[in-house]
Amino acid sequence: MRSKGKSQVSNKKNLFSLTLEYAVKGTIHVSLKQKLQLYKKQLHQAQKTASSSYVKKREMMEKTEDTVRETEQAACELNAKIRRFEDEYVLVHTEMLHLTEHIGPYLARDLFDTVSAWQRGSSVHPLSAAGLDTGDLLFFDTETTGLASGAGQMIFLIGLARVTPNGVMLRQYFLPGPGHEAAFYDAFLRDCRSLRNLVTFNGKAFDWPRVKTRHSFVRDQVPRLPAFGHFDLLHASRRLWRDRWDSVKLQTIEKKILGMAREEDVPGKMAPFLYFRFLKHPNAQLVRGIIEHNREDVLTLIALYIHLSGKVLGLIQCDEKETYEIARWYRQIGEEDQAKKLFEKLAVSSSGTGMRAKAQVGRLYKKEGLYEKALDMFESVIHEDGTPDDRDCIEAAKLMEHQFKDYTRAIEYTQRAIECLRGKKKMMGEGFPKREAEYLKRLNRLDEKKLRENR
Amino acid sequence: MKVRQSMTEILAELKKNPNVVHWHTIPGRQADLAPFPEKLDWRLRRALVERGISSLYSHQALAFETAGAGKDIVLVTPTASGKTLCYNLPVLQSVLADPSSRALYLFPTKALAQDQKSEMEALINEIGEPVKSYTYDGDTAGSIRQKIRQAGQIVMTNPDMLHSNILPHHTKWVSLFENLRYIVIDELHTYRGVFGSHVANVIRRLERICAYYGSRPQFICTSATIDNPREHGEALTGRKMTLIDRNGAPSVRKHFLFYNPPVINKQLNVREDEMLAVKDLAAQFLKNGIQTIVFARSRLKVELLASHLQEINTGRDERAKICAYRGGYLPLERRRIERGLRDGKIMGVVSTNALELGVDIGQLQVCIMTGYPGNMASVWQQAGRAGRRTEDAVIIMVASSSPLDQYITGHPDYFFSGKPEEARINPDNLMILMDQMKCAAYELPFQKGDTFGDEPVDDLCEFLSDEDVLHYQSGKWYWMNDAFPANEISLRSAVQDSFAIVDATDRGHVKVIGEMDRFGAMTMLYEDAIYLHQGRQYHVDQLDLEERKAYVHRVDVNYYTDSDLAVQLDVLEVDQHSEMPAARAEKGFGDVSVRALPTVFKKIRFETLENIGWGHIHLPELEMHTNAAWISFQEDWLERFGKDVFQGALVGLSHLLRHAAPLFVMSDQADLSVVPKIKAPHNEQPTVFIYDKYPGGVGLSKKIYEAMPLMLEKVTEMVEGCGCESGCPSCIGFVNEGRRAKQALLELLKK
Repeated sequence: MRSKGKSQVSNKKNLFSLTLEYAVKGTIHVSLKQKLQLYKKQLHQAQKTASSSYVKKREMMEKTEDTVRETEQAACELNAKIRRFEDEYVLVHTEMLHLTEHIGPYLARDLFDTVSAWQRGSSVHPLSAAGLDTGDLLFFDTETTGLASGAGQMIFLIGLARVTPNGVMLRQYFLPGPGHEAAFYDAFLRDCRSLRNLVTFNGKAFDWPRVKTRHSFVRDQVPRLPAFGHFDLLHASRRLWRDRWDSVKLQTIEKKILGMAREEDVPGKMAPFLYFRFLKHPNAQLVRGIIEHNREDVLTLIALYIHLSGKVLGLIQCDEKETYEIARWYRQIGEEDQAKKLFEKLAVSSSGTGMRAKAQVGRLYKKEGLYEKALDMFESVIHEDGTPDDRDCIEAAKLMEHQFKDYTRAIEYTQRAIECLRGKKKMMGEGFPKREAEYLKRLNRLDEKKLRENR
Repeated sequence: MKVRQSMTEILAELKKNPNVVHWHTIPGRQADLAPFPEKLDWRLRRALVERGISSLYSHQALAFETAGAGKDIVLVTPTASGKTLCYNLPVLQSVLADPSSRALYLFPTKALAQDQKSEMEALINEIGEPVKSYTYDGDTAGSIRQKIRQAGQIVMTNPDMLHSNILPHHTKWVSLFENLRYIVIDELHTYRGVFGSHVANVIRRLERICAYYGSRPQFICTSATIDNPREHGEALTGRKMTLIDRNGAPSVRKHFLFYNPPVINKQLNVREDEMLAVKDLAAQFLKNGIQTIVFARSRLKVELLASHLQEINTGRDERAKICAYRGGYLPLERRRIERGLRDGKIMGVVSTNALELGVDIGQLQVCIMTGYPGNMASVWQQAGRAGRRTEDAVIIMVASSSPLDQYITGHPDYFFSGKPEEARINPDNLMILMDQMKCAAYELPFQKGDTFGDEPVDDLCEFLSDEDVLHYQSGKWYWMNDAFPANEISLRSAVQDSFAIVDATDRGHVKVIGEMDRFGAMTMLYEDAIYLHQGRQYHVDQLDLEERKAYVHRVDVNYYTDSDLAVQLDVLEVDQHSEMPAARAEKGFGDVSVRALPTVFKKIRFETLENIGWGHIHLPELEMHTNAAWISFQEDWLERFGKDVFQGALVGLSHLLRHAAPLFVMSDQADLSVVPKIKAPHNEQPTVFIYDKYPGGVGLSKKIYEAMPLMLEKVTEMVEGCGCESGCPSCIGFVNEGRRAKQALLELLKK
C-alpha cells in the first residue's frame, strides 16, 4: 500500500484523467460551470489549444451584428451578391467566361463538338449526351464540412457551370453560416430547375446523398429536390486509369492526363478547417482559396468530360489499355459490335493487353456461333501467353467438349486451367477452392466421357 | 446394465446428502388467466386461437390494456412467462390498425434480436397480413437496408446500432421517426452502469429526434427482477412509467437446494472446489437422462466443465449431447445448440450468463449454478431455465468459498425473502454526458434554452463551442467539426481511449481480436501477461502505448497471470459525510483521484492456484477521477491493536466489503474497487475506500454510501458466521496475523 501526501488535480496529459466528478443531483446547476472549467482546463492541457475564456465567448456572441457586417464585407471582396430569403441569406458569385476560355488542353467551346459527336454515337453509353443540348449538361461540385455521411455534415459551397452559346455560365453558392441553409438551397434549386444531367466526380456516392440529407432539414421551406440523373466522371476515370494510380483523384487526372497545373491550390481536405475559421471571423481571405479550388474543379469537369467522351467515341488517340477498357465497357452495356471492333484491333498485338483482347474476341465469336474462329483465339492465347488465364483455358476446353467433341484435348485444356489456377492460389484467396472444385469436377466428367467413347 | 435412477430417487438421495445445507421448496402456481381484451384485433385473436391459446395470462392482458391507454410500461417478468406477447400484441395491434405506424425494438445483443425476429415472423405468418419486421444490425446486408429504412414497420436493433448508425443518419429514416408509435426495450436490467448511462443518453437523443419529426412514441420495457424496475425505467427513458409486476404465468413446484462443498482443509477452512461438486451433481442427472443446464461465471470454467462432463459419455454421438454455450460462438453454432435443447437432442449444456437472457431454449428440468451468480436478477433468470410444464424442477446452487457465497449459504432466509439489488445508472456523468451531447448536436442543432434530459444545455454547448466542436449562430448551436462523433464513442467500453488487441500468431494474418480500455489494458495486457480470450490463452508480446495496441500470440500454458497495483488515492472533494456512532466511525462520499501503478505480476497455476513465478510490469502511472464511498475509523484503534494486526483487519474488511457490495447494488468485480489505507490522506484516519472504476462514477459508490450501515451489519455476520480461526477465503481472506486480525475486526465492527 502506498499512501503519500495530498495531491491536487494532476497535470498529466492523460485523456484518461479528464474526468469530472459525478454531478450530484440538485447541485449540478450550481456547480456545472465550475466543473466545466475543471474539465476544460484538463482538456486544454491535453490538446494544447490556446486558452480562450468564457468571457471572450460571450463577447463573441454579442457580436452577431458585427458578424453580419463582416459577412457583407466579405461578400463584396469575393465578388458575390447577397440573396436574402426571409431572415437568412446566401452569397452567390456569378461569372460568364468566354467560349475560348482554355481549360487544360481544351477550349470551353469544344464541348459543342463533343455533344454533337454523341448524337452519332451510342445512346446507351453512361457518358452519352445523345438527345441532349450542350447547355443541358450541368457541371457540379460541392465542398463539405467533413467527409462523413451523417446528418451533421453540411455542404457550404456548391459550384456549377453550363456551357451555352453565350459563354460558360459559372455560379457558386456559399453558405455564410449554418443557419442559412434554407436560403442556400432555395437559391440553388430556383436557379437550376432540372438536375437530370449533372456531371460530377463521384457525385452519386458523395455529393448527391449529402444534398439530400441537408435538403431534408429545410424541405418545408424550399422547393423539392427534382429528379436526379447524372454522369459520374469518377466512374469513367476509374475504368480507364485505375491501374495507373493507387486511387483515382481529380487532381491526379488534371496533372497526369490533362496536363494542367494549379497555382497555389488549397487542398480539399483543408476546406472544413478554413470554413470553421471563417465562421468565427468572416474574413474573405480565409475562404477565397476554397472558392477558387471549387471553381477550378468545376471547370476541370468540363475538360474531363470532353476528354473521356473523345476517348470513348474514338476521337482521341488511346493507348492499348485504354482501348481495352473502353471495349470492355461497350461490351458490358450491350454494344457488342462496337466492343468487337475495338477488341479485334487490339488482338493483333502480342502484348498482354493483346492477349486479353484475343480472349475477349474469342468469347464474342463463341456467342455468335463462330466456334472455329473462337477456338483459334483461345488456342492462340494459350500458346502465346506464358501465363494464360485459367478461364481462357476452360473456354477452350468447353469448345472442345461441346462443339468439337474432342475430349482428349478438352482434358488437356482443363488440366492446363487447373495448373494456371494453382499458380495464383495465393492471390485468389477465398474464391480458390470453389473454382478448383469446379474444374476438378469438369475433369472427372471429361474422363468419364472419354472412357465411354473408347468403349 | 445399470438401472437408471428416476428424479424421485435422485432427490431422495440428495435429501440424505450432508452437503445439501438447505432445501427450499417453492410451491407450484396455477395460471392467472384473463380473457382476450375486447379491443384485440380479430386477426390477432384468430392467430392466437390457431396456436391453441384461448386466453391471456393476466399480466399480458394488463400490458395490452395499459399500452392501449397510452401509458409507458415497465414489465417485470420471470423467464418463460410469455413476456414477448406483452409487447408484440400492442405493437401488432397498432400496425394492423394503421399500417403506417412504426415500432422500434431494442435488444442488448444481436442474437436476441434475431431470435425475436423469428418469433415475430411466426406470429405474423399466422396473422396472415403483410407486416414487415426486420432486424437492423451490423450483419444486415447493404442491399436491403434502404428498404428497411423506408418500409420496415417493426425494426429490431441494439443500442449500439441505434447510437452509431440510425440516429446519426436520421434523415434516411424519416418514415420511421415520423410514425414511431412504440419503443420496446427488452432486458431493461442489462442497461446499468456505464453502458446503461450511455444508453439513457442514446434514448434522450432518440426522443429528441422523434420530437423533431413530430412523434411521441410510447415505451414498453421488460426487466428481470430488480429492486427498482420503475425507477430504473424512468431513469433510462425520462418518462413516468407504469409498473406491471404481477405475473400470471403458471409454474411448477421447484426445489431450490444449497450445496456447500465439504471442508477439506480444516486448518485453513478451505472447501472442496465447487467445480468438482458441480461436475458430480450434473453427471448424476445427465447419466439418468435428465436434461440439465449448468451455469458458470467465466468462459474458461464453462469450457472446463463441459469437457469434464463430456467424459461421462463414451461414443462420439453421446458426447455431442453435452455442449458448452457462451458468447463468442458463431450464430449458427448457437442456433444448433438452442434447437438441440428445445427438441431434446442435447441433454446437457454448460453456459455463461449468455443463456440467462431471453434466448429460446425451452425449459429444462434441472439447473445447477456454479457459485452465486453475483446478483439476484441472475439467480432468478437462471433458475427460470428449469421447470417443465408437468414435472418438478430442481435448482441447485453450489457455493464457492467466497464470503458472499458462504454468507448466502448460511442465510437462506435472507436469500429467499430479501430484496433484489438495484440497477443504477448516472446519465449525467459529465464524461458520458459530454460525449453524448456531441452526438446529439451532430444530429440536430441545439437551441438556446433547450434541455437534454433534465439538464439545460447552454453551459455545455458553450463549452463545446469553445472547444471548436459547435458553432453558435442566432440562438442555435450547430455541429461544426469534420468528425463523426458516434464513431469515436462506444457505449460499452469505459473510456474512449481503447486499445486494440492484435493477434500476431500468424505473421501473415495479423488480426484484431478485441479491444480494451486503458485501465484494463494496463492491468491485463502488460508484457508477458497471459490474456484469456474466448477460452484461448494468449501471451502478450508487446503493449504499445503510443499506438494503443497490444500484440499477442496464441499459447497453451497451465497458468494465468494476475497483476498487483500500487494505488494512491486522494480525496478531491467531500460531498457528503456523516457519523456512524455504532461503529465509532464515519462514512463519506465524494470525488477522488485514483492513481494506479501496476508493479508486479504473478503467474498462477490453474488447477492448484499455486504461485509459480512473477515478473515486473514496466508501465507509467494511471490516473482516474471518480466517485468513492469510504468508512473511516478512529486512530486510537491503531495503537490498540498494533500496526500489523490492524492493517490485517483493514485488509480483511476490504476483502469482505468487495464481496458484500453485490448484495446491495448490481455490479461485477470489474465495476468497483476497494482500497484500504491505514492513514487516509484527507483525514489521516484508517479508512477503506470503495470507488467506481469508471471516470466520473456511475452511481455504484453512491448507493454503497447510503447502504454503509447495512453493509457493515452483513460483513459482521459474515465474520461471525465463519468457523475458521485465523481467516480463510470465506471471511477475511489470508492476512498477516490472521487470528488477531479477525478478532480485531470483530471488535471494530461490533463497537
